[in-house]
Amino acid sequence: MTESRKSRLTRPETLTAVGIILVAAGFLVPTYDLRAISALLPAAMLIGLIVLSVILLLADQRKASAGEDAEPMTKAPKRVIGAFLMIVSYALACDFVGFYVSTAITIPLVAWTFGYRSPLGLLLATVIVVGTIWAIFDYGMSQDFPTGRFWGR
Amino acid sequence: MYSDLLHALPDVFAWTNFAAVVIGVIAGIVVGAMPGLSATMAISVLVPFTFGLEPLVALGLMAGIYNGAMYGGAIPAVLLRIPGTPAAVATTFDGYPMAQKGEGGFALQVAVVSSSIGGIASAFALMLLAPPLSKVTLLFGPSEVFWVAVFGLASIIFLLGGNPIKGLISACFGVFVSVIGSDPIYGNDRFTFGQLEMLDGINIVILLVGLYALPPVIDLLETPLKTDGVNSSKLGTEPIWKALPRMKYWKTWLRGSLLGIWIGILPGAGGSMAAFMSYNEARRTSKNPEKWGEGEPEGVAAAEVANNADTASALIPALTLGIPGTAVAAVMLGGLLVHGLQPGPMLFRDNPDIVFGFMWQFLFGAILLVLLGGSLATNSFARLLNLPRPLLGSVIIVLMLIGVYSIHGRMFDVYLMLGFGAIGWVMDRLKFPLPPVVLGLILGGFAEENLRLALRIGRGDPMVLFQNTTSLILVALTVAVVVGPTLKKRFIDSRKKA
Amino acid sequence: MLNIFKKTAIAGAMILSAGAALAEYPEKPIQVIVGYSAGGGTDVMARTAAPFIEKYLGDGASLVVKNMPGASGQIGVTEAANADPDGYTLGTFNLPGMMARTIDREAEYDRDSFTYLANVVNDPNVIVTSKASGLDTLDKLLEEAKANPLAITVGMSSLGGDDHFALIKLEKATDTEFTIVPFKGSAPARTALLGGHVAMGILNISEVAEFQDQLNVLGVATNERSQFAPDLPTFKEQGLDLVNGSMRGFIAPAGLPEDVQAKLIEAFSQLSDDQEFLDAMAATANPVEVVTGEEFKQLTSDLYDLANGVWQTTPWN
Repeated sequence: MTESRKSRLTRPETLTAVGIILVAAGFLVPTYDLRAISALLPAAMLIGLIVLSVILLLADQRKASAGEDAEPMTKAPKRVIGAFLMIVSYALACDFVGFYVSTAITIPLVAWTFGYRSPLGLLLATVIVVGTIWAIFDYGMSQDFPTGRFWGR
Repeated sequence: MYSDLLHALPDVFAWTNFAAVVIGVIAGIVVGAMPGLSATMAISVLVPFTFGLEPLVALGLMAGIYNGAMYGGAIPAVLLRIPGTPAAVATTFDGYPMAQKGEGGFALQVAVVSSSIGGIASAFALMLLAPPLSKVTLLFGPSEVFWVAVFGLASIIFLLGGNPIKGLISACFGVFVSVIGSDPIYGNDRFTFGQLEMLDGINIVILLVGLYALPPVIDLLETPLKTDGVNSSKLGTEPIWKALPRMKYWKTWLRGSLLGIWIGILPGAGGSMAAFMSYNEARRTSKNPEKWGEGEPEGVAAAEVANNADTASALIPALTLGIPGTAVAAVMLGGLLVHGLQPGPMLFRDNPDIVFGFMWQFLFGAILLVLLGGSLATNSFARLLNLPRPLLGSVIIVLMLIGVYSIHGRMFDVYLMLGFGAIGWVMDRLKFPLPPVVLGLILGGFAEENLRLALRIGRGDPMVLFQNTTSLILVALTVAVVVGPTLKKRFIDSRKKA
Repeated sequence: MLNIFKKTAIAGAMILSAGAALAEYPEKPIQVIVGYSAGGGTDVMARTAAPFIEKYLGDGASLVVKNMPGASGQIGVTEAANADPDGYTLGTFNLPGMMARTIDREAEYDRDSFTYLANVVNDPNVIVTSKASGLDTLDKLLEEAKANPLAITVGMSSLGGDDHFALIKLEKATDTEFTIVPFKGSAPARTALLGGHVAMGILNISEVAEFQDQLNVLGVATNERSQFAPDLPTFKEQGLDLVNGSMRGFIAPAGLPEDVQAKLIEAFSQLSDDQEFLDAMAATANPVEVVTGEEFKQLTSDLYDLANGVWQTTPWN
């Protein structure tokens, strides 16, 4: 019994609806400090989000009591979480260590981790992508990418 | 004026100037085709670089990039369901289903031909009708522009998808994001949490890359290597001259061109709205609207003709009044100023060879699109996207970072994009429709700003919104387009029941 | 005793390092931070001025423009204020905007955060009316404003900018009241004027010069006629004391070594006599008026006091 109640509450749509309600309610707080006319549109949208999410929540719970199984968000949660983590760490690495180093490491690392293991292909792809970016953006357009906060200015 | 037009022609054919257009178109297609890179970003990176170039070389590059990118955006939209530019969102509706059915090649050919037609129509509008069309722009004050925005927002109801509640949540989310930044009238902060980077609002490219490019990247990495969705052998490519006779979309092309030109000369809304509206109108008048969204080539034609038809026309208000019709035109205006070309009525008199040359370059850019895009896209580019999935995924990640970073040259935007990416992934998995978010972001704050300006002009009296014919026509149009089909459906349903 | 020794040592070290700087400055590229996107008015000013500054600094000096757009220039100017005061980071500076931002929102800089090099552009305000309004002289405008307070709508580019301060000065000087319609930027405001959606506009001379036939330009807010458009009368000629404008110039972080500062100011001050530079600026709609060093600092300070005074009585947000 407790088992099923728990699973009812962890249905993806229910969780999302609750999430939207909480976040929207949180954003409603700063609208009190705004002029009425400034607050009108955002507050209307936030209240709209809350009301709609409540409807979504109820509809999903009705489905749950009707015994409909919720579709899982992903069949391979580990790969999805891994992919997200890698993307976030890539962005952080660019910011703190520098763009070119991070990119040269990330391309082969991500491709290798997720199943493309040909060393020659990885090397070629990395050299072509990084080289092209450098040639076009740095050399051609003198566009600076992050050099890494870690090394100072 | 028309003699000026002819006088400017020889300069356009100077080989450096012509080469600039060719290079621009190719670069534009490539930039548009790279998920994450956008035309706005490409031209803003180019602008400082053009200080040292001859005006027509610089402008030719920009005209080429703009035309190329508006088509290039269709390539990943069709093959990966990632719109390469904001204006290509509507292209995914039918383009991606076509690719899944093995008609990706045909979808791209429809896209390139339609883009080219839209671009040519727009270039002619710019060359022949710029002064009268700029008078049309003047008719649109804040209250009229407000109604245009409402008209666009109303079309969200056609984009809600299977579950209207989820569609409305998407729309509310989009509109809410559009108000982040400084208040349009008073300039005080709204939901910026003290971050200066958020004062100017959330750039559409940041949201678009996050919502549209990140989820497919996760998909690419999530599914193991061998199960490849689209590959070039399944593209079903045939030579373009064989495909041409199958394209009989004259009505859609005409309507899309006119809509695109019209949206282009109105400040602020731009290509994505043109594509959405053209798509909606074409579907509404189609004989088989139920097939749309499942791979109807005419849907691709409608979206692509309109998103190219606003390119040159967006320059009409930009050149004559200094108000750009699209985000890309805004950046190009900077490129013009760099060469001492100040917008205004004198521009055409003081620098006719450059201004009219620039217009010719738009025309040639649009024509070149079919030649360069036709072969380049269906052959080489589609194959690039056929890399092993993990490799493709990792390369797109890099492109996303470059594209978002280069808009303002700051990492803050990249983190913001990743945040939208996480939201986008959840929305994608739970089948929340994404187009309402895009339209909400483009038009929400825009509608608010103009409503409040109109109310100030009327000193608080809402009647100011209904005071002139243009406004009333727009109100009537909105009602007709939105309520019309609903009433019609009710009517038919009730007769069926009876 | 020890203290005095310390002080002299430090002073000596400073003189030494300053001397070294004089001998070598500039020994590497000088970065100019522009708070707006490439192609904007401020960016074009910086990029147009850069080669001339290089020429006057001599020694193969090189200026590199870096765009850091966002928050109406505030991101860029904050970066410039916090940079090392070694003369290798300069920034562009806009008045009264940069000072007004320290008043209407939290800013990480104030008027003492900078070494004031030179103000280069002074783009005076103009009052224009739409052809449809029928208010084609200053007298007619003021008469109407006095007869019907708040009835005249005034389009301008934003609240808390030079246009806004010009209007406040006008309202104070003539005891009138107008309804402000703050557009996002001056081009939309000008378009609304051309279309007759607002009756009056406060813009800058560079923004209306190309549109003189489509609008009534009632006057220019300068002491003497602007060289940019000498056929337009000033307000002073018409008996109204109204002087205001938008200014753009160059600053460096506070605490620049004196000799570096002197060398830079020397280079900037030569701009005003360089005809080639003046022509290049005129072509890009930048009316030049060079004000350097202390004078520029005083100008900034005065504008701050003006903005602050306005804020105390009538805050705009």
